[in-house]
Amino acid sequence: MCGGMELKNEVLASATCALCGACLDWCPYIANIEDHLVLRFDCNVSNGRCYSVCPRTFTDWEAISEKYLPDIPRDFAIGPHLKAYKVKAAKGINGQQDGGTVSYLVKTILEDELAETVLLTGTDDQVTPEPFLSSEIDDIQKSAGSRFLASPGMRKIIEAQNNKVQKMAVVGRPCQIQALRKLDYNRPPQKPEVEVLSIGLFCMWSLGWDFKDYLQKQFPEEEVLRLAIPQHGFEVTTDKGVHELPIDTVKKFSRAGCNYCLDMTSELADISVGAFEPQEGWNTVIIRTPKGQQIFNDALTKGYLISEEYPEEELKRLKGASLGKKTRNLNHVQTAFDKGVKPFIDLNSAYYIQLKELAEGMVK
Amino acid sequence: MEWMITTNEPGKTYLMQGNEAISRGALEAGIRFAAAYPGSPSSEILTMLGHVADEMEIYAEWSTNETCALEACLGASFAGIRSLCVMKQNGLLVVGDALHSASLSGVKGGLVLVVADDPSAHSSTNEFDSRHQSRSAAVPMLEPANMQEAKDMVKWGFELSEQLQQLVMVRTVTRINHGRSSVTLGEIPQQKQVPAVIGEWDRLVAINWFKDAQISKLEQAQVIFKESPFNWYNGPENPDMMIVTCGTGWLYSIEAVKALGVKDSVGILKIGTTWPLPEEFIVKHLGRTKKVLVVEEVDPFLEQNIANIIAYHPELNIELTGRHGQKVIPRNGELNPNVVRNALANMTGTTFTGPEVTFIPPEEAVALPPRELTFCAGCPHRASFFLLKQTLRIQEGQGVVMGDIGCYTMGGQRAGHYLFNFLSCMGAGISAAEGLGQLTRFGFDQPVIALAGDSTFFHSCMPALINAKYHNSNMLFVILDNSATAMTGFQPHPGIGLTAMGKTTEPISIAKVVEAIGCPVTVADPFDITGTTEIVYKLLKQPGLKVLILKQECATLAIRKREKAKVWVDQDLCRGDECGCGRFCSRIWGCPGNIWDYEVGKAKIDEVVCVGCGVCVSLCPAGAIKIEGGEAV
Repeated sequence: MCGGMELKNEVLASATCALCGACLDWCPYIANIEDHLVLRFDCNVSNGRCYSVCPRTFTDWEAISEKYLPDIPRDFAIGPHLKAYKVKAAKGINGQQDGGTVSYLVKTILEDELAETVLLTGTDDQVTPEPFLSSEIDDIQKSAGSRFLASPGMRKIIEAQNNKVQKMAVVGRPCQIQALRKLDYNRPPQKPEVEVLSIGLFCMWSLGWDFKDYLQKQFPEEEVLRLAIPQHGFEVTTDKGVHELPIDTVKKFSRAGCNYCLDMTSELADISVGAFEPQEGWNTVIIRTPKGQQIFNDALTKGYLISEEYPEEELKRLKGASLGKKTRNLNHVQTAFDKGVKPFIDLNSAYYIQLKELAEGMVK
Repeated sequence: MEWMITTNEPGKTYLMQGNEAISRGALEAGIRFAAAYPGSPSSEILTMLGHVADEMEIYAEWSTNETCALEACLGASFAGIRSLCVMKQNGLLVVGDALHSASLSGVKGGLVLVVADDPSAHSSTNEFDSRHQSRSAAVPMLEPANMQEAKDMVKWGFELSEQLQQLVMVRTVTRINHGRSSVTLGEIPQQKQVPAVIGEWDRLVAINWFKDAQISKLEQAQVIFKESPFNWYNGPENPDMMIVTCGTGWLYSIEAVKALGVKDSVGILKIGTTWPLPEEFIVKHLGRTKKVLVVEEVDPFLEQNIANIIAYHPELNIELTGRHGQKVIPRNGELNPNVVRNALANMTGTTFTGPEVTFIPPEEAVALPPRELTFCAGCPHRASFFLLKQTLRIQEGQGVVMGDIGCYTMGGQRAGHYLFNFLSCMGAGISAAEGLGQLTRFGFDQPVIALAGDSTFFHSCMPALINAKYHNSNMLFVILDNSATAMTGFQPHPGIGLTAMGKTTEPISIAKVVEAIGCPVTVADPFDITGTTEIVYKLLKQPGLKVLILKQECATLAIRKREKAKVWVDQDLCRGDECGCGRFCSRIWGCPGNIWDYEVGKAKIDEVVCVGCGVCVSLCPAGAIKIEGGEAV
């Protein structure tokens, strides 16, 4: 039984918050501007939804995987999945990141009425993330491309709930997909079930909003048209041209809360999408559930997407990258737990023990 | 019986508030000029004079601050016009320099300065004793002990002022200003003063050449006070003990002597001219006794000046007691009949045996629930403090908030989520913030916010704003503009466009003043909690000096002008204690209009106190608070 004060003391005070936004807009105590998320007044609720949905409060990964991804073959590095594909959109979409796959998956979902509304993130300025719910295919364009700034998009769940949405789709970062699963997993029995289709994004880290100030200072009087991370670094396309920033410079702006994330590929999603590193203009798609397989197949059938077999050596590299994030961040997690942050992972779980051994092995 | 302050019926007696008596005294003295800055408990005086200004052919103004008021009076006095200046104790400290200078230059037309002290600080942030200033500035001072004296002393003060060519202070306390008793009227002169020509060689200058003149005026006053009808002794020829008292202490002393039945052994020496003390008169009476108790409000001023007199008169052999040393009277806090009675009982070794006066029989008395000071229902300050508090929490930079004096001072308590880190005198918030904001150069990185109301802005913030601008201090100055000097009763100020005499005049725009000083200014509506929170957040991110005006008219004024919207709780939508909001509307937001319906366990609006501002509508997470009709806020 934990509420807002525990969320404040365990998550917000320790800066482990992932800014998924799942705790926002349910209650008048939690407030947010940009990437600040705080308890604005002391709350007296002892059993809060905010605490139960947070990806940085205790999360029973094994039980949640078992419930939402049952009988799916497990992989230690990239989570339960059926199959991986190399994918791109048949026809490019303006402003797309990599292959444009997500945009066409969303288009398929709306066309086939697999969801009444989709939670997307985007704005006109290509830097500022702004979550929105949409049922309009025309809106997809607004969300094309990556923003990189952390956005508390899960706050929109309450809006969907108030609109009595029964079937929805969510495009989100790994932390947001975790929150989405926890939301249902910890749902009080009297609350109605919402059918959710989740498209998880690959994520190494997301950036703090001071990166926006940095861009403004770095490129004054230029309008940023696109942010991207191709192989060679961080690319900022403005109305005056293309600038490149060293990736290490950009990484300095990554949010502290991202250091505690052990999930690169959105392991609890129905379908996960990320870059296909070896070749620009292509995506990696990981199908995790039959539901995920279905929309993927539909999009192929419609001719929106082109897919190829996923190269074996690339799958190895992808798993290596994912394990790299896991082992790197495990050190942060371990340090935080040692410093007294309340563990949000079951320290006795087989998963945690295996990961610990793996991390130690890599150090050796 | 009803009476008008302008009624010309000499000899008639009416029940009068002390402040009415003071105003009346000024009218009987034939004043033509009055200036004041509002401050409880003195505020009614100029309000009344403003109302009758046309009829009585006088000029009355609410000055921008107390210094402006005193110096305006000095200007009128230069042309021979009798002028009344009014302020509270804090105001007298504001005019310290002006007072000391005026006393050096002297006056031409009579100038009486009424200063109202507030023992126990009932309607002030602190209590001060104004009498020290009279001594320090070498200005004669009178202290009325009842409402009749309040009128008579003010009237006589003008004669004394002209006789001495010096300003005269009249010091009152809350119980005189706001108490009521019978006052017999004098005559209001029909002849109106006309301004004298100020000749080429006429001077009113405050330079040290006039120090001897200043001292001699004080000595002259001492001679006059020896025969003053405001000083007298009443009691046995050679009492065992003497009470020396002034102001309200006199009535308390009479009551104490009577209650303890000690009139055959205790005499009362009542002093109305407390500076300079009539030394000869006091020595003469002290010679009758060996034991003295001094009864007076606030500081042991009279007591210690009597101690001085005793020191210069070895023939006196007196055991002196009062507030000094706190042997029988506490050093702090307002006097009342019981405090004085207990002191006297202690000194005389007597016990009070009579019945205690109670207004409610103990069996009928109901314990009042403890109530905190809070903002009125619909007060824009509540919204301002709410959004400032949440912005500082969101901003996570441990903002430091420098408060100031006005209704919004209550924001330092629960009503404003204990927002203030600092509170001093009027205008101090922005001045101190300027200093803190300069520490950025040494690594101080906490956001600094100064708050001030609109009236305070005009009163004392402008030089500080110029200082902050000129030195580019790193701070946010928030002006809480509710278009009123609300705390003291809605007296107009320069931003309002109305004078004390009810005349319209061009209002001065705070935004334009701020812009003219060179500060970019943002104007926002505190009732738009979300939008204005973002504005404050963004302003705090900017370096240098920022100015934000949070503009929304005082609810108590606004509701008189517009049709009230109906705000109510749809109790079907309110989730009661099931809601995760934890009674947010009544517990956190805390508007007196938001109450809890204990019968059904849901939120409710107290329609009697709600003014229909509708801010709580935007705060309810269940959307259960509804608004309907009325004019848009």
